[in-house]
Amino acid sequence: MNSIVTVITFLPAIGAVVLVLYSLLQSREGAEQVNPYRWITLLFTVATFIASLGIFSGYDASVAGPQLATKVPWIESLGVSYYVGVDGISLWLVPLTTLLMPVSVLASWHITKRVREYMIFMLILETGMLGVFVSLDMFLFYLFFEITLIPMYFLIGVWGGERRIYAAIKFFIYTVVGSLLMLVAIIAVYQINGSTTFDIVEITKNLPARLQNVSHAAQYLLWGAFALAFFIKVPLWPLHTWLPDAHVEAPTAGSIILAGVLLKMGTYGLMRFNLPFFPQISRDAATWVMVLCVIGIIYGALVAMVQPDMKKLVAYSSVSHMAFVVMGIFSFTQQGMQGALYQMLNHGISTGALFLCVGIIYERRHTRLIEEFGGVATPMPQYSTMFLIISLSSLGLPLLNGFIGEFLILLGTFSSTVVPHARTFAVLGATGVILSAVYLLWMLQRVLFGETTKKENQELEDMDLREKVALIPLVVMAMVMGVAPMLFLRASDKTVDGVRQIVVPDRGKTERVAK
Amino acid sequence: MQLRLDQLGLDYYSILPETITSVVGVVIMMVDAFSKRGARRANATLALVGLGGALAAIVGLWAEPPGSSFSGMIVTDHLRLFFSGIAVLSAIIAVLVALQFLKDEALPPGEFFSLLMFGTCGMLIMAAAGDLVTIFLGLEISSITSYVMAGYRRTDLRANESSLKYFLLGSFSTAFLLYGMTLIYGATATTNIEHIRQAIATGQMPFPQLLLIGAAMMFIGFAFKIGSAPFHLWTPDVYEGAPTLVTAFMATGPKAAVFAAFLRVFTSGFNAPASAAGLGLQSRWVAALAIIAVITMTVGNVIALNQRNIKRMLAYSSIAHAGYALVGFVTGDWGPVAFYMLTYTVMNLGAFTVIQMLARAGDEKTMIADYAGIGFEAPGLSFLLAVFLLSLAGIPPTAGFMGKFFVFKEAWNNAPNLHWLVVAAIINSIISIYYYLYPLVVMFFRPAPERFVKPRVSVPVAVALAITLIATFYLGILPNGVFGLLDSGQPRAAQVFSVK
Repeated sequence: MNSIVTVITFLPAIGAVVLVLYSLLQSREGAEQVNPYRWITLLFTVATFIASLGIFSGYDASVAGPQLATKVPWIESLGVSYYVGVDGISLWLVPLTTLLMPVSVLASWHITKRVREYMIFMLILETGMLGVFVSLDMFLFYLFFEITLIPMYFLIGVWGGERRIYAAIKFFIYTVVGSLLMLVAIIAVYQINGSTTFDIVEITKNLPARLQNVSHAAQYLLWGAFALAFFIKVPLWPLHTWLPDAHVEAPTAGSIILAGVLLKMGTYGLMRFNLPFFPQISRDAATWVMVLCVIGIIYGALVAMVQPDMKKLVAYSSVSHMAFVVMGIFSFTQQGMQGALYQMLNHGISTGALFLCVGIIYERRHTRLIEEFGGVATPMPQYSTMFLIISLSSLGLPLLNGFIGEFLILLGTFSSTVVPHARTFAVLGATGVILSAVYLLWMLQRVLFGETTKKENQELEDMDLREKVALIPLVVMAMVMGVAPMLFLRASDKTVDGVRQIVVPDRGKTERVAK
Repeated sequence: MQLRLDQLGLDYYSILPETITSVVGVVIMMVDAFSKRGARRANATLALVGLGGALAAIVGLWAEPPGSSFSGMIVTDHLRLFFSGIAVLSAIIAVLVALQFLKDEALPPGEFFSLLMFGTCGMLIMAAAGDLVTIFLGLEISSITSYVMAGYRRTDLRANESSLKYFLLGSFSTAFLLYGMTLIYGATATTNIEHIRQAIATGQMPFPQLLLIGAAMMFIGFAFKIGSAPFHLWTPDVYEGAPTLVTAFMATGPKAAVFAAFLRVFTSGFNAPASAAGLGLQSRWVAALAIIAVITMTVGNVIALNQRNIKRMLAYSSIAHAGYALVGFVTGDWGPVAFYMLTYTVMNLGAFTVIQMLARAGDEKTMIADYAGIGFEAPGLSFLLAVFLLSLAGIPPTAGFMGKFFVFKEAWNNAPNLHWLVVAAIINSIISIYYYLYPLVVMFFRPAPERFVKPRVSVPVAVALAITLIATFYLGILPNGVFGLLDSGQPRAAQVFSVK
């Protein structure tokens, strides 16, 4: 049995233990030194990233099922096993997580109070997130899903902004409402499947047949319980109201992780649970889900446009972009779903980098209000270039990653034969692209370009080495993903096709993603 | 009629745990009488030795085949031994913490430890009961020692109030229970639980009309004792007024023992398959229990939202947890309730111990506001309290989550008509998260106070906290070992509980 997935998942947790042990061995003066904690954490997150690249060597893109799997019986009397592995859907989400973590650690260098606890929470959070993506057992998935809440709650509540307590409690309770109802659905699915196992792969095979005995209303409720948890996480309008508060009040690294990875747990869950377990209900619900997506895209963009705070603007842009992803998933076409997966990665990179850019300038001026800036490109040209590239990637300029994802999603939605009124939704969704250009370019113009009117802005220092090392990999990835998408899409093609076949069987030959 | 000694079933090995604890209790009283100033350490050592011996006896009895002794008054099976283990565990933790508690407050140690031992003996008898009279015996021994321990701080008005309230309401509820027992005796002409079950199953009851009302009175009596709504009003006052250590003990050990007796009477005694003679007793009490469970959870959680005293908040949380445990009754097996009581005991012992440490002598600082900012000043204690509060809230990977998951899963599987109960329990868990998070907010998110003195944690208390912490994570991550113990050794009766 291959254990690389387990190593990747738990290496950050081991790092947390190392941090605790290291701090216990310190004298009182030694404990005041915060740099060792930062470097140890950076070491562990980079090591996890390098380890996560190892999953590509054993991965075979022509197989649809989970690979590099480890299955060990854990709680036999409940039918729970420790079953982890990667398949096409989760394959690229793992390196996304492990890439954004060192970036976040670098972005946290300016944290000075309670650095040890901060880094411990970051490492536990990384283990939790990786565990969510590689879990192939429902119980284990739920465990990791909930574990990510606690470190995020503390990160927002202790190291956050002014309204951090309100934001942290709102984030926790809002998310937990969805996930506790999902727990009931997990138990119910376990029972419908014969009360033998929580294994996701087995249930995916057996459940649609067993669901014949369950009433339509009951199936809808179960689908709805899963969907509620994931729609809250995505977040899909109208369940998005926790996001602006959480993003704005979180520290920079917290926002990067929240937007870059935690939101993907929602869309990942939709592809892992809702579609394969309940194909018929997913088809039935697709219309109103699309309506919510379209509203989310347009609403998110419109509200982003009027934000005076840069971080809140990016937060609402997240609402808008993630609604795109859900639209792609529920289009039930190969292009749409592949595009949705790709857009998950894109959004992680570009929005993560956007929050990093906002954080860089916040560290200098301690304000995020757009009106406080203007003409920042003059004192900070390198920063402005990066910021511009990232924003263009976020709004979907061709040759950058966002274009591929959005194009595939819109193409898939437009050509969907399963969802009624799909073309209308695609057209309406496309307006979101225009609107995102509006709010992003307008923000850039007000912040970066023009005359450097304020005196404080004239003396701003450009990025130092640490910030460059954090930002440049993301910019490079954005460009690489924009010109060579097949590198990434090839891995997920078969698995996505498998999921699609469950939802829309007997649709003839599979439509391949256009090269 | 001649009474033959060998027909009485005198099997002293089967009551070895109870014997050990009561003998040690008497020995402690003697040592206390003949020593100057109470000999705190000697008495604590004696108590620990006695409890260790009781634990060894329990382990020894585990291998015995299930059976009864003393003419059916004592039953030896895994249900009894598991709950006995929980009772002894809570007593051990209480002894470890009591060393520091009694020293800090300069209270006489001898009586305390002997009361603790007698209370444990009462709990063990309750868990071992195969007869209604034995239940009453164990319940009274356990209750009276609890009444006295609640008022142990003689000069504290709150403790006096707590003790008196507990005594009055406890006696009142015991009266309900006793009257119910007599009515059941009137209905079935026996007080042996197994014979009651047979009488109901075969329909050979002299006075079946009394059955329902007797069962109802017993139900009310038990519901009082576990603090379920609408009989919960004594719980917050008693838990708040008693010394925190005594609250820790009362909230866990005796409650678990009462659950054992409750389980045995209702899921063994009143569990005959639906028959005309049984007057639908089983479906009636399941229905009543489901409703009481929902009301209990909701009352406990909703009122806890508003609490500003942490002991009171945990009292309401105990009420809510009694509600979740009641959900386990509909599963048709004793395993879920037993496992839940074990996780509940471990979590609450840990939480109350930390609160005892932070509250200082005399329970000065028990308001949540007193905890402001101490999160990073006393990181060890705050981390422990955070773990126990998150476990009470049911967040993985802790014991609280595993207990809730097990109970809800079994209830969902075995009681298809009662799915709404599980959903209600989940919604209640959501509500409860707010008040479990609130002390964390106050501890970690608020700025630290000036001149905060870290409480001194003695070695025995550290050991107690270590035991509860390890148990919390062990039950949450590797529960398989304990799940293996829940097998009753008999084939599980395939009973599906339906509610009319």
